[in-house]
Amino acid sequence: MTVNRNGVDQGAVSKRTVTAKGNLIVGTANSVVSNLAVGNDGEQIVADSSTSTGLRYQGNFAAGKNKVINGDFGIWQRGTTFSTSAAYTSDRWELIFDGAGATRAITQQTFTPGTAPVAGYEGQYFYRYNQSVAGTTGTYNIVRTKLEDVRTFAGQTVTVSFWAKASVTTSMTSVYLTQNFGSGGSGGVDISLVTSPSFTTSWVRYSYTAAVPSITGKTLGTNTCLELRINYPLNSTFTVDIWGVQMEAGSVATAFQTATGTLQGELAACQRYYYRSTSGVANKWILPMCVSAINGTSAIYAFSLPVTMRTTPSSVDSSTLQLVDGLSGYAVTAITLSADSSPAIAYGTMGVASGITVRYPYSVNSTSASGYIGFSAEL
Amino acid sequence: MTMDNVTFLVVETMNGTETHAIIDKGNNEFTSMLKSEYDRRQAEQSTPNLPA
Repeated sequence: MTVNRNGVDQGAVSKRTVTAKGNLIVGTANSVVSNLAVGNDGEQIVADSSTSTGLRYQGNFAAGKNKVINGDFGIWQRGTTFSTSAAYTSDRWELIFDGAGATRAITQQTFTPGTAPVAGYEGQYFYRYNQSVAGTTGTYNIVRTKLEDVRTFAGQTVTVSFWAKASVTTSMTSVYLTQNFGSGGSGGVDISLVTSPSFTTSWVRYSYTAAVPSITGKTLGTNTCLELRINYPLNSTFTVDIWGVQMEAGSVATAFQTATGTLQGELAACQRYYYRSTSGVANKWILPMCVSAINGTSAIYAFSLPVTMRTTPSSVDSSTLQLVDGLSGYAVTAITLSADSSPAIAYGTMGVASGITVRYPYSVNSTSASGYIGFSAEL
Repeated sequence: MTMDNVTFLVVETMNGTETHAIIDKGNNEFTSMLKSEYDRRQAEQSTPNLPA
C-alpha cells in the first residue's frame, strides 16, 4: 500500500468515481478505473470488449420469462376479423362483453416496416379493437388471455407490460388479473393492476406491478388459470391498439420477448390450445388422411394432432368441408368430436346427407379457400 | 332435439353412446362438442367471473 503525506492510500479508489445511484466502478485498464452509468430498468450487464469499460448494459431477451403466449399477436389461426362474444380472436386472446346495440370489430393490423414501437424489434401485427357504435347497458368489455394453471405466479410479484395507442386519447376501464380456480374450485380472486388508464395517440409502453396472492388453502378445480383481462371502455366508441404484452416475475418490465422466443415455438405453443388446418385454396386437402364410411351418411376420422394438446380437445369447428372419393364430393353437414379422443388424437364422425358407401375411404377437402377444421382445448 | 341453431345428436361409439351438440353457424360452418361441454360453456357465459 502506498500512502501519501496525509495518510491517504494512493491506491484506493475514490468514491467520487461514481456519480449516481446504481453506477459501478469498473476497470478500464491496468490500475485505471472509471464510472459505468447504470442501465435502464430491467437491463443486464454483459461483457463487451469493444467498450472502454469492457461491459455494457442490454435488454434481457431471454425466452421463457414472458408467460403470455402470442403476446406479439403473431398468430391468427382463426382469421383476422372478429366481433362475437365468448369467442377467441388472435390465438390465446378471447373477447367477452355484454350489453346491446354496439358495433365492434377486433382486427389484425400490419405494422408498416419500421413503425413497430420497439427499436430493433420488427413486430409484424398488432391487435386493434374498434367499437364504432357505442351501444348501451354494457358492464364489461374485455379481451383476456388465460395462463394455464392458477399456480402460475402464485405468491409472487408480477409485472404486466404492453404497448398501446388509441385514435384519440382514451380512458380504458381497467386492467386486472384473475386467479381462476376452475370448475369445482374456490371462487375467483381479482387483482387490480390499474383502473381507468389513459392511452394516448402514440405507442407508449405501459407497465403495472402487483402481488399475486398465495393459493394456500384454496381448492383447485379443473381448468384452473391466471387470467389477464383488459377491460375496454363501456358504451362508448373507441379504437385502441395493443402490442407486445408481457407478464413476468418481479417488479420491473424487462425487454419484450415472446413466450418461446421463436415463430415456430410460438405457433406450437398456441396449438397446445387450438389447432386449425386450412388449405387456403379450394379443393385442397384439409386433413392428411382418409376417413372411412361407417354407413351411407357418416364416416369416422382419427387425426393425429401436430402438437399434443393441453387436454383432450373439447370441441371441433369446421367450414365447407366435403368428403371426396375422387369422382364426387359430399358436403359435410355435421361433425362430432368423440370423448374417445385424446390430447394427441382427435376422433369423431363427419356426416353427409347421403351417397357415401360403407367401408369406403374418402379424403377431406374444402369447397372454398377459407374452409377449415379446427380442434380446441382452450381453458 | 333442436333449439335455435343447435342440434343434439346421439352417436353410438365402441364405448357406448355420446350426445353431441352441433351448432350450425350457417354457410356450412359448424362447431360441435359433447353436450356436457356445451352445457358447461352455456353456464359459464350466463355467469361470467367478473370483478365485483
